[in-house]
Amino acid sequence: MAIPKSAERSEVGAHQGSGEIRLVDVTKKFGGSYAVQNINLTIPHGSYCCLLGPSGCGKTTILRMIAGHETPSSGEIFIGDQMMIGKRPVERGTAMMFQSYALFPHLTVLDNVAFYLKMRGVGKEERRQKAEEMLQRVQLDHLKDRMPGQLSGGQQQRVALARSLITNPKVLLLEEPLSALDEFLRLKMRGELKSLQNELGITFVHVTHTQPEAIALADMVVVMDTGRIDQADTANVIFDRPKTPYVARFMGGQNVLTGTVESLSGGLARLRNADGATFEAATGALEAKAGSPMSIAVRRDRIKLRKRLADQVLSAVNEISGIVDSTEYQGSYIKVTVDLGGGVFVVNVSDSEYFVDAVVRGDLVTASWTTADVHTLSKVDMGAIDDPYLDATQ
Amino acid sequence: MLKKTGLITYLQVTPLTVVLVLFFVIPVALVVVVSFFRYKMLVGLVPDFTFQNYADLLSNPTTWSLYVSTIKFTLIVLLVTFVLGFWISYFLVFHVRNLLTAIGLFLLCTVPFWTSTIIRMISWRPVLGREGLINSGLQGAGIVDQPFDWLLFSDFSVVVAYVHLFTLFMIVPIFNSMARIDKSLLEAAVDAGATRWGVVWNVVLPLSKTGIALGALFVVTLVMGDFFVVTVMSGGLSGSATSGIFNDLQFLNYPRAAASAVILLIVVLVIAASIFRLVDVRKELVR
Repeated sequence: MAIPKSAERSEVGAHQGSGEIRLVDVTKKFGGSYAVQNINLTIPHGSYCCLLGPSGCGKTTILRMIAGHETPSSGEIFIGDQMMIGKRPVERGTAMMFQSYALFPHLTVLDNVAFYLKMRGVGKEERRQKAEEMLQRVQLDHLKDRMPGQLSGGQQQRVALARSLITNPKVLLLEEPLSALDEFLRLKMRGELKSLQNELGITFVHVTHTQPEAIALADMVVVMDTGRIDQADTANVIFDRPKTPYVARFMGGQNVLTGTVESLSGGLARLRNADGATFEAATGALEAKAGSPMSIAVRRDRIKLRKRLADQVLSAVNEISGIVDSTEYQGSYIKVTVDLGGGVFVVNVSDSEYFVDAVVRGDLVTASWTTADVHTLSKVDMGAIDDPYLDATQ
Repeated sequence: MLKKTGLITYLQVTPLTVVLVLFFVIPVALVVVVSFFRYKMLVGLVPDFTFQNYADLLSNPTTWSLYVSTIKFTLIVLLVTFVLGFWISYFLVFHVRNLLTAIGLFLLCTVPFWTSTIIRMISWRPVLGREGLINSGLQGAGIVDQPFDWLLFSDFSVVVAYVHLFTLFMIVPIFNSMARIDKSLLEAAVDAGATRWGVVWNVVLPLSKTGIALGALFVVTLVMGDFFVVTVMSGGLSGSATSGIFNDLQFLNYPRAAASAVILLIVVLVIAASIFRLVDVRKELVR
């Protein structure tokens, strides 16, 4: 939606100060169980932050605590330099867009958007005029007299967005904003959210369980696992250099391999896995000891795949062998799933390479990569938990 | 083979139509017809077409005072049951976080209905009487010297009994429409700066309108149609529009009783119509 560059931002309720969010040692318990535990996170002012994780990982709880709809059991939340615990949502300078949009079904679109102004005691004429301006910005002024129930999902979302933005927040909190939309609208709204954030320059915190959404939008991706933050970094780092096997699996695009350290030399570790294949990996900051297990990740698109004859024996390092289980055409690349016997290995082969010597299901293949493309994980892989989100294949 | 659109449709609505005609349309029609009959002492009903019964009733000041008293009770009881019903439902729906607890408390509201109306009414006597719980308590505590006379056999005791009997009819429909309010609407209102009262006034109240209208309809028809509670609880000092009908029936003056019934029916229908005018219940129900 074409929103004029911060031009006439409504001066009503202008929130001064920075939209930096700082969570210090935040814990939230529901009954006896922890929703989130000892969260430390700083979201810089004006950034687009995505909280990413499977359902039940605590990402929505964090959002609701920032918004003031939940109170942490312990810990502190700062926005700018002000401590927010105990403050009402409206005093925090945050605005929340709910997953269900939470539009008031008994009010017209215009009155929905004007609700905040009504609560501030702005006169009827003035607030209607301001709300109309806001609706123009989301290009819905022609529907101002409709009831929310008469709008499509996409339109309802724009109304919800207008209703949030009229509070002139320094932090916009989005609870799975794109999950209720169909694929086409989702991509469209995704672009619009990003450009909106660029134009407003305020902090966006966006909760999602969809990896492509997070990567496409976020300046900062926070990957969560059952109440804890596994990794918080730029989208590029999260995707390319995941810290843990969990993040690597959750983000997809990586193969996680585990082996026992056989020898160490010059910052390189040589691993041998259960099948006898050997890999090399830079130990980096990790303290590796000979004889202890270590996990590495290799990006799917950095792997070479070639057919193998039945009597050929594995000899080289950074090679693994298996049988092609399936091939999936993805347009610019072909996703080849290789059955290793004890697990699966996914190789994304570019279409130009693939069609030179196409592999089919049942073919014996060897996958190989260079040590430079290996990324060492800080934790040892305990195996993918039985979770539909994990090992998501894109 | 029957044609789908024709006969089958009529067959499908027949059972309900028969029930309604037999037990609703015919009796009401009979009452209307009888209300135009003439009453003759010792003879009883004389078929006729006279407006005499209506003229008698409308020119009789007793009728008017009974209606004034009934409408007064209706309005007071409506107000009290609404305030009680609204806040009890509000508490159950929005404050009790555990659904099981809410259902448990809701069932608790229905406990008085396990006994009959008469017992529930009679049991107010030992509480409100001159020698009753409240009076002896107040006297025992030295707060008052003389017992309050207005506690029992008064308008007060009538209202107490009505409220006790009919509040549940307000709670149930309001609870029902409140339970359908998306909780995130309340949070959205708080997010937009609404105070607790602001949320109730701007979100909860308008979205509970259907339940309030239905509850009001129950209470209005129940109070307007009652003569028993008012007679027992006021000790015969107050009457209601229905007591007039009862008296006429005792004298076997069926025509005048019928005319009274028709007038009451019209009054209640007018009230119901105005309630439905305020709230489009059918539209709200499909929301």
